[in-house]
Amino acid sequence: MNFILHFCQWLNDLAISTAIRESPVLFPVIETIHVIAITLLVGTAAIVDLRLLGLVLKKEKVTDVVGQIEPLAWWGFGVLFISGTLLFLSEAEKSFSNPAFRFKLFLLCLAGLNPLIFHLTVYRRVNDWDTASKAPWQARATAIASLTLWAAIIVSGRAIAYFN
Amino acid sequence: MSSLHFFQWLTHTPFSVYIRHSTWDFAVIEMFHLLGLAVLGGTILLIDLRLLGVGLRRQPVSRVASELLPVLLVSLAVMVISGALMVTAAPLKYYFNEWFRLKMICLAIAVAFYFTLHLKVVRSNEGLSASLLSKVAAVISLILWLGVGLAGRAIGFL
Repeated sequence: MNFILHFCQWLNDLAISTAIRESPVLFPVIETIHVIAITLLVGTAAIVDLRLLGLVLKKEKVTDVVGQIEPLAWWGFGVLFISGTLLFLSEAEKSFSNPAFRFKLFLLCLAGLNPLIFHLTVYRRVNDWDTASKAPWQARATAIASLTLWAAIIVSGRAIAYFN
Repeated sequence: MSSLHFFQWLTHTPFSVYIRHSTWDFAVIEMFHLLGLAVLGGTILLIDLRLLGVGLRRQPVSRVASELLPVLLVSLAVMVISGALMVTAAPLKYYFNEWFRLKMICLAIAVAFYFTLHLKVVRSNEGLSASLLSKVAAVISLILWLGVGLAGRAIGFL
């Protein structure tokens, strides 16, 4: 734990971290990009989840929805990851001991595991249920987990400021 | 009743007094506003990017838009309701905040544009590729909604 704290302190004192932290413009701009990019990742993922739950885009094949929306979601993830890293660097030391930030990081790991498991298991047999409006229970469970995790991630992300 | 009078009246309603003095209620309402933003933004992105030939390209534009409309309406309702509740917590603070005013103007234009010209354009696109007019409508829509989002974020900076 001490090693991680020292690492965060080192990150905190990097030139780029200090530049973002001390600029009246950089932090707000990067944070705004971070918040807007949520729509590109979570918003589009929510539509995929709603398809898996058979609530939206029911006439479309699951592979069409998943396959065409995933690239957009990856772009969103890229922007969120880069902006998030920059934001973290600027307050690395504070974030280390911030419970909301720690919880958010933990949830992000789960949010990454969820689609991985999905793709390695039930999605392998997607041709069996591609056109069905009701997907197998594993797919629906993935969708509910995804919606819950991302909602919790957004909430804990917002809560970071309350614990700073 | 002028808008200033309305906002002044809001300040004295029991709900306004209640939410002003509660620590967590405002935060919870704001969370719903953020969650609604994620879904509303995602829906708008999917429709407008589709008009620009990105994303759900194997489906006709009109079908994508009509199938996503319920999600758009519900998330928009969540945002309007949560937004109104937040304003009620400190009506005059928002009334005099220039970013809030700008956001409301952008929102009015965005909604008006989205449910008139934009809707017409989307419904006329039953094939797989969109006309130049459709792409222009998509870009205007994205700019307007982005304006709403940016102005909304700026409220917090003032």
